[in-house]
Amino acid sequence: MGLPCGTHNYTYAQDMAIMRTKTHWALLIALLVLVFTAPLYWGDYWLSVANLIGITLIAAIGLNILLGYCGQLSIGHAGFIAVGAYTAAVLTNRLELPFLVGLIGAGLMAGFIGLFFGISSLKVKGFYLCIATIAAQFIIIWVINHLEITGGFVGIAVPYASIAGFTFKSEASLFYLIMVITVMCIFFAKNLARTRIGRAFVAIRDNDLAAEVMGINLFYYKLLAFFIGCFLAGIAGSLLAHWIGFMNTEQFSLMESILYIGMIIIGGLGTALGPILGVIFIRLLQQGMMFVAPTIEAALPALPAGFATGIAPMLFGAIIVLFLILEPRGLAHRWMLFKAAYRLWPFSY
Amino acid sequence: MAEFLQYLITGVTVGMVYALIGLSFVLIWKSSGVANLALGGLILIFSWFTYSMVVQAGLPYWLGLPLVIVFAMAMGWLIERFALRPLIAQPILSLITVTLGIFYFLEGLAVFIWPWMVDALPPVFPPEPFRIGPAVVAQAYVWAAVISLVLFGLLTLYFRYHKMGIAMRATADDQFAVQACGIPVTSIFSTSWMFACVVAAIAGVLISWIGGLHFGLVETGLKAFSIVVLGGLDSFIGAMVAGPIIGLAENIGGGYLTPFLWGGLKDIIPFIIIIIVLFIKPYGLFGEVRIERI
Repeated sequence: MGLPCGTHNYTYAQDMAIMRTKTHWALLIALLVLVFTAPLYWGDYWLSVANLIGITLIAAIGLNILLGYCGQLSIGHAGFIAVGAYTAAVLTNRLELPFLVGLIGAGLMAGFIGLFFGISSLKVKGFYLCIATIAAQFIIIWVINHLEITGGFVGIAVPYASIAGFTFKSEASLFYLIMVITVMCIFFAKNLARTRIGRAFVAIRDNDLAAEVMGINLFYYKLLAFFIGCFLAGIAGSLLAHWIGFMNTEQFSLMESILYIGMIIIGGLGTALGPILGVIFIRLLQQGMMFVAPTIEAALPALPAGFATGIAPMLFGAIIVLFLILEPRGLAHRWMLFKAAYRLWPFSY
Repeated sequence: MAEFLQYLITGVTVGMVYALIGLSFVLIWKSSGVANLALGGLILIFSWFTYSMVVQAGLPYWLGLPLVIVFAMAMGWLIERFALRPLIAQPILSLITVTLGIFYFLEGLAVFIWPWMVDALPPVFPPEPFRIGPAVVAQAYVWAAVISLVLFGLLTLYFRYHKMGIAMRATADDQFAVQACGIPVTSIFSTSWMFACVVAAIAGVLISWIGGLHFGLVETGLKAFSIVVLGGLDSFIGAMVAGPIIGLAENIGGGYLTPFLWGGLKDIIPFIIIIIVLFIKPYGLFGEVRIERI
């Protein structure tokens, strides 16, 4: 850990603290103030991008707990988000329950579905588990498409979120809702990694047999990882449903699941900072491609007709491969290197 | 009864082609221990490349198909050389996710070049169907099954008697011992990727003769995972047995259960089978049970 010169810790609590110096605190508060005053100087467009980033981030944090900390590869994350989104939609639209009930219900539902598919992780791992989660993705989407209560292929409308009479209609109000939940999730994930549970997850990731021998209950902790990961996916799904206002299953394809894995790989597996960087990187790149691709297409008529839609997946695929080869520890590791270099500058060590 | 026979024959013949896709997966898994999740994307790309050669460039099949095979070999070599080789000895998580990245790339590439997404290859087989008892089977199905069987036979012979095939089996068994014998492991890896891509290309062409060209080919590629899970990841025989089983389950189950359940059941049956197999017999019918040590 890069601490400024002259900072000494005298107690264990000091050593383990997340915020260790006054500068840390000042920077954190400045960041939070910056984020929560953003609606004052950002337009609706950038707020909607920020909302998308926030929602994606919640789901990515869930996946990071599952994959980055516990090492259980899930390629069905978009499916679990879909479970959350549709549970929220059904609870608030069909049953007309309040938003918060829908939110928690979505998380629990996604968590329990995740538990069911996670049971296979007890017997198998690696490739087998990732096949099981691909199967989960397809089965979930198929069931949603054919249930009557979810609106099937037609889709389902979702009412605005509202808490105690206040309705979140505008992008700015939703921004506050989403950001509060996102910040809570980041805080939760950061702290989870430092508890017994987080350490058990890491032990299972590094070698599950050794972890079992050390007395870690694999059954309990693997399923707990699935539950937490999918619970957060469900929360993200619920927010997504209320934010978009209309759900159909096209938004939850296998490709989206792969993109989530790509995000946390690009950011850095098993770090608290990783998902944040990865999600911002990918979502901003997506927005950028939406602007750039049509411009390039207009400028170069010789390009094939699929350029605008095809270039983005090609780019994302290439980026995932390149990151795995060149920087498997992700952007978070680069950030640590930068911090270390900055702290020591102008000396090399 | 006629209906049942129909489902039976369709299921087995389509299953043979699925088995071929499964075989492509097993080839790579056996030699290098890489799970090739990009299989769906590869099938898609090879089928559409055939379309480009045969329809867009107007080449006859006898010239177009060898070109497809050459393209498949080049693709296999490129993927192994530039995406997999830098990751040798990395954890399995990286190996799986790198093929996911390739999958993403290939799917984008397909949209990029062939954005209209639905088409058909010109037919090669005469349109009049075979009549087996009361059942009617299009010739494409039967020939696809025959070609799959022949290819399976050739591969088996290759692995049993050819020097390179034996070297590949040895690599699957013990990489260190093979290196000690002076066999270049990296060239074994790239050969197995080239082989797997050629098998995938042939399977892709067969399946698009049967069902036409569309983006559902990706899911056809993904169905192959149910075959390898059922048959066992490291077993050629397993793939050949499990292929027809999946094909049968898909057709018979889809045929008889759809009236009671919902439509589209046919496409989901392989995935349900995956879950059931993983719960009951996770290493498949013929797979080697791995015993781990710390």
